[in-house]
Amino acid sequence: MTESPRPAPQDDPSWAEIVWGQFRKRTLAWVAMWGVLLLLAVAIYAPVFVSNTPFVWVTADGTSFPWFGTLFDRTHYPSGIDLFFNTLLVVGTLSFGPMIWAWRRVELRPRRERTAARQRLVGVTAAGWALAFLAVLAAGLQRPEVYYEEEAARLEAAGTPATAVWPLVRISPGDTDVTRSMAPPTAQHWLGTDAAGSDVFARLVYGTRVSITVGIFAVSLYCTFGTLLGAVAGFFGGRVDALLMRLVEVVICIPSLFLVLAVAAFIPERSIFHIMLIIAGVAWTGPARLVRAEFLRLRELDFVAAARAAGFSKAQIIFQEILPNAIGPVLVSATFGVASAILVESTMSFLGLGDARVPSWGQILATGRTYSSWVLILAPGFAIFTTVSLLNLLGEGVRDALDPKLRS
Amino acid sequence: MLQYAFRRILWMFPTFFLISMVVFTLVSLAPGNPGQSGGTENASTGASVQSEAVIFFKRQFDLDKPVLLNTRWTIGTPEVRELVVTAQAVEGEPSPAARLQATTALEDLGNYLVRHLMVLLEEDPNPEVRRLAAAYLIHAAALPMVSERIGDAEVAREENRFREGYNSALRGLSCAPGAAAGCQEEVTTAWRSWWEAERARYEYTGLEKLQATFLDTRFARYWWKLLHLDLGVSPNRVPVLDTLLLKLKYSLTISLGSVLLAYLLAIPLGVWSAVRSGSRGDAVLTVALFIMYSLPTFFTGTVLLRLLSVGDPVAWFPVGGFESDPVSPTTLGRIGDVIWHIALPVATSTSVALAALSRYARSGVIDVIRADYIRTARAKGLEEPVVIVKHAVRNGMIPILTLLGGILPVLVSGSVVIEVVFNIPGMGSFLVDSITNRDYNAVMAVLLASAVLTLVGILISDLSYALVDPRINLD
Repeated sequence: MTESPRPAPQDDPSWAEIVWGQFRKRTLAWVAMWGVLLLLAVAIYAPVFVSNTPFVWVTADGTSFPWFGTLFDRTHYPSGIDLFFNTLLVVGTLSFGPMIWAWRRVELRPRRERTAARQRLVGVTAAGWALAFLAVLAAGLQRPEVYYEEEAARLEAAGTPATAVWPLVRISPGDTDVTRSMAPPTAQHWLGTDAAGSDVFARLVYGTRVSITVGIFAVSLYCTFGTLLGAVAGFFGGRVDALLMRLVEVVICIPSLFLVLAVAAFIPERSIFHIMLIIAGVAWTGPARLVRAEFLRLRELDFVAAARAAGFSKAQIIFQEILPNAIGPVLVSATFGVASAILVESTMSFLGLGDARVPSWGQILATGRTYSSWVLILAPGFAIFTTVSLLNLLGEGVRDALDPKLRS
Repeated sequence: MLQYAFRRILWMFPTFFLISMVVFTLVSLAPGNPGQSGGTENASTGASVQSEAVIFFKRQFDLDKPVLLNTRWTIGTPEVRELVVTAQAVEGEPSPAARLQATTALEDLGNYLVRHLMVLLEEDPNPEVRRLAAAYLIHAAALPMVSERIGDAEVAREENRFREGYNSALRGLSCAPGAAAGCQEEVTTAWRSWWEAERARYEYTGLEKLQATFLDTRFARYWWKLLHLDLGVSPNRVPVLDTLLLKLKYSLTISLGSVLLAYLLAIPLGVWSAVRSGSRGDAVLTVALFIMYSLPTFFTGTVLLRLLSVGDPVAWFPVGGFESDPVSPTTLGRIGDVIWHIALPVATSTSVALAALSRYARSGVIDVIRADYIRTARAKGLEEPVVIVKHAVRNGMIPILTLLGGILPVLVSGSVVIEVVFNIPGMGSFLVDSITNRDYNAVMAVLLASAVLTLVGILISDLSYALVDPRINLD
């Protein structure tokens, strides 16, 4: 008996597309997603709006484009976070168009082909960005800092003023000047200055980068780790499971902020990466428990038995068969996790146990508290509140979109 | 039920033991131990040893012991010789860092060195090494002082007096560099006779080796003290336990106050919005609670403090502290004073818990309200308030009871921020202060105390859950 091959229906949606469709129907979550994307854009394009270096600099000596030179300069951006976002600024902007084109191109292909093509696209792009970042790190450009503001004043005084195209706010977050310490808001310093005389608005904008990095990296780190542990515990059960769950219980019983603060205090010269590691070290229990519970449920189902019968290896069953079905709850908790990681980071820097070298919202708020300045309390408070609530709304949207009971 | 409770309580002990192990290891990894200061030359023996005060300090805090496992009995005589030679630069020119490291190692090894130093003293070909072996023996053979805070203080003092005498008798048994020729001979004879008497103490049997591996460690000694309710002392010589109990009083008042307030507010709010689910009131409440949930504690606290305490615009509440000084003479006055002081901290702390709790209360009631028995209750003509309170709420509240276990650690954690913002001398600010003062005994104590609180919180919530819900099978 022969059977004619059934043509794949053009509109057969994949799981991700179903969830995406559900997600789009939720207005609040949709708005929150755009809000988060806007924050991401602020983080990536911060130097376009806030930088002390002009885009174009025309003097009698000729024309130069100093802003572009500073982007990958370690003197100008000492923190790795800034280099990372600057790489994204260049590479991300350049690859945005081609990516959209490649994404749309496979719109009408059959599901299997379409999904594979899009997964490949995401993988290749991410790998490209990572390579670009590594290249920037390896290059380690370092040139002496030029203060164009002073240069402009000097040329002005000499009677040969320079023509320059400046960013919207002509100051960098690291620029200090104690003579203008704790100045109230002016046209030049929109939110005034802090104790060291740095511009609060600039620090607030660059603080977005710190918060987002901590949130996303800490969460991806502990979700990966927790998922792996949970998968192993849930799949093998027995003694492995008992041991891991005991460990989880131990970590849960120590109040996380106490643990985080104690560990942070023991690291001399802690950097923002230490802080991510610490947050991840405390928070991995959440995904571990979720994934374990899912594995315990799923491993008894028929498709797993079928995979076993087909002779799949244990690793194949865990990663190819069960894990894709168990990942939903982790996605939800990851979205809320980003919000709480941002809160923990800002709490740490509020208490003075963060990375003092990068601009952070909690640190601005602590200054505001010490010097009793409303602007310095309200501005970072509002920034944290907005970010956290957008992420929480997004998380609720993801949770509802993933819930098959709520599908209409 | 009793059996279940008993089993749950028994399980807490191994968990607590593991927690203490994890926390202890973490705290021990901390850099900047007080014992890590540099060494000084001892003029009389020429042996570079750290000052007596530093050694005393290290011994007192057991900082000279390994953290979890002690394998020092495995060390061999050649290794000890190498350490002595490096520490004193007898042969060759070791770097200052290597010298300091060797010096510290020699100090920390303590009485595990005795056996090997005796061998060096008797047999080493280099006369300088023989001389130094005697000098190091004085430190290695010295008996450590016992704690006077455990057991009978008089007995401990008596023991310490004896040990003091024993140690000072050893102190003369070494020669200064370039001393008279017969000196070394004399000293060696003296040590030999001492060794004949004390030999058994330093030659370890299998059981003693095992004992040393697990019990002669910082962790085991910490537990030994912990079992005697001795949490060590802070650098200012105040016992940590006394400070902790005082701080605990403040923190618990605030935490329990907020838990109580949060539950008292959350249940009616949740029920109200569940009954009016979908109405405008419900929507407004949802938004308000969502905002409360997303506001960071330190922000809410700072803003409340500025608005209501600092006098910008009003100064209704005090800017800090737990109660006025001097305390009010009447009990009622004192309670009022404390409430006046902790009103803002409790309000801040409550706002975090309230949002989550009332959401759970709402969904709990909504789940129940569609159940058949509610329809039955309505059908048989019961008044709506009776249906809601007696039938729906009682069942709908079960899920929020379990939250108690999760909320307690959050509130204890949150106490750090709240106590720092509102200047309350509780456990959280104690932790931050101890961290800045590098008071590791206190950091340990706070972490352990908070873990105990959490364990108890989880226990209470499990037990109350089992008590309230007859569907849960206990055994």
